[in-house]
Amino acid sequence: MLKNTQDKFISYIFSLVLASLTIFALSKFNSFMDNYEIIILIGSAITFAWMGNVWLNFRTLFSFTFLLSFISIYFYKGSLEQIELNFFLKYFLSSQSAIMWMTALFPLSLITYWIYLLSKQDFYGNLATKLTWIATMMGFIGLLVRWYESYLISIDVGHIPVSNLYEVFVLFCIITALLYLHYEEKLEIKKLGAFVLIIITAAVVFILWYTFEKGANQIQPLVPALQSYWMKIHVPANFIGYGAFAMAAMISVAYLLKDKDILSDHLPELNILDEMTYKAISIGFIFFTIATILGAVWAAEAWGGYWSWDPKETWALIVWLNYAAWLHLRLIKGLRGTVLAWWSLVGLVVTTFAFLGVNLFLSGLHSYGEL
Amino acid sequence: MKFAITMFSLLAVASVIGTVLKQNEPYNNYIIKFGQFWFNIFETVGLYNVYQAFWFLLILIFLILSTSLCISRNTPKILRDYKKFQDRLRVKSLLSFKHSYQFSIKKFNAKKITEFLKSNNFKIKHKTNNEEGDLIVAKKGDLQKLGYIFTHLAIVIISIGGLLDGNLVFKVQELMGTKQIQLLDQELSQIPLAGRMSEKNLSYRASILLSEGDTKTAAILRAKEGYLVQEIPFSITLKDFNIEHYATGQPKSFKSDLLVRDKKTGESITKTISVNKPLTYKGVTIYQAAFEDGGSKLDLLVWNLNSSTPSFQMKSEIFKNNKLTFERQNLTLEFKDFRKFNILEISNNEEKKAKPTNVGPNFLYKVRNESGQAKEYQTYQFPIAVDGNYFFMSGTRDSPQEEFKYLKVPADQNLSLEGFMIFKSLLNNEQKVSEAINKGLNESAFQTNEKKEAFKSGTQNIINSFIEGGYNSVVEKMDLNIPEKASFLEKEKAVKTYINIIYLVGQELVKSYEAENQNKIIFPTNNSPRFIQDALTAYSDSFFYGVPLYLELKDFKHVQASGLQLTKSPGQIWVYLGSILLVMGIFCMIYIQEIRLWILVKNNSNSMIVSLATNRDRMDFDQYAVELQDKIKKITN
Repeated sequence: MLKNTQDKFISYIFSLVLASLTIFALSKFNSFMDNYEIIILIGSAITFAWMGNVWLNFRTLFSFTFLLSFISIYFYKGSLEQIELNFFLKYFLSSQSAIMWMTALFPLSLITYWIYLLSKQDFYGNLATKLTWIATMMGFIGLLVRWYESYLISIDVGHIPVSNLYEVFVLFCIITALLYLHYEEKLEIKKLGAFVLIIITAAVVFILWYTFEKGANQIQPLVPALQSYWMKIHVPANFIGYGAFAMAAMISVAYLLKDKDILSDHLPELNILDEMTYKAISIGFIFFTIATILGAVWAAEAWGGYWSWDPKETWALIVWLNYAAWLHLRLIKGLRGTVLAWWSLVGLVVTTFAFLGVNLFLSGLHSYGEL
Repeated sequence: MKFAITMFSLLAVASVIGTVLKQNEPYNNYIIKFGQFWFNIFETVGLYNVYQAFWFLLILIFLILSTSLCISRNTPKILRDYKKFQDRLRVKSLLSFKHSYQFSIKKFNAKKITEFLKSNNFKIKHKTNNEEGDLIVAKKGDLQKLGYIFTHLAIVIISIGGLLDGNLVFKVQELMGTKQIQLLDQELSQIPLAGRMSEKNLSYRASILLSEGDTKTAAILRAKEGYLVQEIPFSITLKDFNIEHYATGQPKSFKSDLLVRDKKTGESITKTISVNKPLTYKGVTIYQAAFEDGGSKLDLLVWNLNSSTPSFQMKSEIFKNNKLTFERQNLTLEFKDFRKFNILEISNNEEKKAKPTNVGPNFLYKVRNESGQAKEYQTYQFPIAVDGNYFFMSGTRDSPQEEFKYLKVPADQNLSLEGFMIFKSLLNNEQKVSEAINKGLNESAFQTNEKKEAFKSGTQNIINSFIEGGYNSVVEKMDLNIPEKASFLEKEKAVKTYINIIYLVGQELVKSYEAENQNKIIFPTNNSPRFIQDALTAYSDSFFYGVPLYLELKDFKHVQASGLQLTKSPGQIWVYLGSILLVMGIFCMIYIQEIRLWILVKNNSNSMIVSLATNRDRMDFDQYAVELQDKIKKITN
């Protein structure tokens, strides 16, 4: 009982701190914000307070991310030169270093998850989970500090870091990780980390290649079409969708392996895997639907029409139809098992094409992240 | 249902084709790409405008119809279920449920149970005079079934909204022959009624291109390989167009200052629009969509790259043609585009990493000869740094499919073209060249006059062929003179010697010029050899430049044009409403679980049956069922 009261007390403090920080931000930066930004700020505060109170580990993540980002910003002293001069910035907390830490930690947790999967020793499982949490935190810090850095380049250059392929890949990694961590905790499926982290590590490899080969980590100013508050909502919502679909596909891999009796001693029961895939796809589907609709609303404002059959839009529609069919078969027809598992795996191919292939091979209005 | 899914699949396939095959390109591009035979087939199928094709609209219409059919067939049943409590179940069937529990109770307290169920959001029907006993029927999550109606209705509404905003009206008019796509470039007033869409047109996405100061009263609808005129209820004047740039030179904003005047009332408003900030007036939304040159005025200097002819001035405008006679050829210069800002990835000397930099204005023009052949040129006004040295860049190509190949003319001490132009004039001055050769000869170590003469005439030959055709012509001539059996190494050695000789002559020319004009510093003082080499290379490359006519941009007056898009979209509101319904429906279907519960206490017995059912058996329901019956058990005991 005492623990319960204590929990409630912490929840209360957490919400209070968030509320006061919001009020502080509103009063201090009021002159820089328009109504939409005020709504977005308050909306985010409420979302984080709610998430922090229903999911305690998220609260911890949030608090540490917040604290470390602030320390990082403090070290900058308003100048980009500090990245080279300040020891902590140079090796830990500057945006680039934080993201590099993330790219190191995710592969490490993948390896640890595999050791756990094969050895079945809880020590490794817990270690892997912790590593994933820390990697996610570093990713968040990297993006938040990058946001701040962009304003240090110049006030008019400053923008939320979801504007190009490099930034959204980092976003993809941390959102997928966060979704996975949520289900891992809720459904006790630690062993699936060995699969979900594969796709995250693949994204990490891409980030590294993109950084070192193409120098994509440079902060670029926003083209006029992207200068809209819609970007803050449309892009993250889309990536919750992509992340969830990617996770579903990786769990389907586990399902298919188990079904073929490969590693089956080491994997959860088939019905758990099936259920998990369903949960991932449904959350992804909802966010993807909302993101696509918001994209349409934005397009109506920026491009003169809510739908232009632009390749990205069209492929979003195909992704949507694909998962709509998947859900239809499962919910209405009651289909289960290998067919749906294969389907969700093919879904990942379609999704990846919509996410990356369109930028690579097709041109159109959405060409913000060209390779 | 199967039909609807087929339609959805067709829609997906058609959409993919539309993304892979670039839509709405000029038809010529398709002919080049596919050849006449396939071009005709693809055109008949409508692959160049998939999303406006007749069959595509047909798919959409079928989709609406079949989905509507699905809804009308299933809705009554769903609504019936929504109201109905299944209270006719027998003990036997209740016990056959997967989640069914039986236990003995001390006393049956219906009120307590119903209260508990109510607090858990169950709807309840209590039947006391049942033949088998006391029956409580409870259910929750009915909205899940409504989710089905919501989502399917949403798809219909969204599709109808989309159709409203399509060009269905025009399709019908085109079929009836009252409207016709226009193919010729004509004055607005010349276009016949068949090529004009009335301002009452249900929906459109038309465009207007306005130069600064211009006014237009109608818009253009692009359709297949031609266009239509779209009448609008107002006129638009572009008062000013502004592009703002970031410090790095990338565009930051495009803004058009508009004056919009109602044709009927004469009422007018002024408004600045920009990307993401359109203006809606009389049901039409006006967007900032594009920009291009609006006929900028250019002050030019015409140079001849490989003769000593003096330069002369010329004035022109973008979209204008200038005729001139150059080296006994009648040429037409067609000016196509002018860009004030150009961002290139440039690395300067101090930092190795390339950074986007604004390199200043450039202009695009074609030089057409009498036989109609044309080469395209893109010339920058200011010199651009390449590895720390500055060059005037002028690209040339034979067709738009090619990349530009750049002529790099080295900038002189004052970062101007003059140094190179003096240099090429010196090269073309026979007297100066022969003086330079003589001077070189005097400093040489040749003993006999014969050898000197032989060397002199040899050098003169090399220089002459260089002046006539650059390094290439030197090499060609050398191939004629050098015995065939000479080894590759010997040839290479000879080439190096020739290049060196040409360089030395160039150096002498520069030296003598500097001696004669001591007050004038024009050739780079700190890195003269590099300049001479680059100038020689540029001179040699100029023979691949087409006509050796170089246009130097001295001054310009920038006139811009703004591309506006005008959208009338009555379907938008329906699409949005449909979208809201869609999200609601998906939420209902996924996150609301329909649960039915029966509690039966048999007549004259102390045993209670609790049965639970759900239409979608999921893992968490097992746990839920156990917990719920446990709680009910506790209440009754």
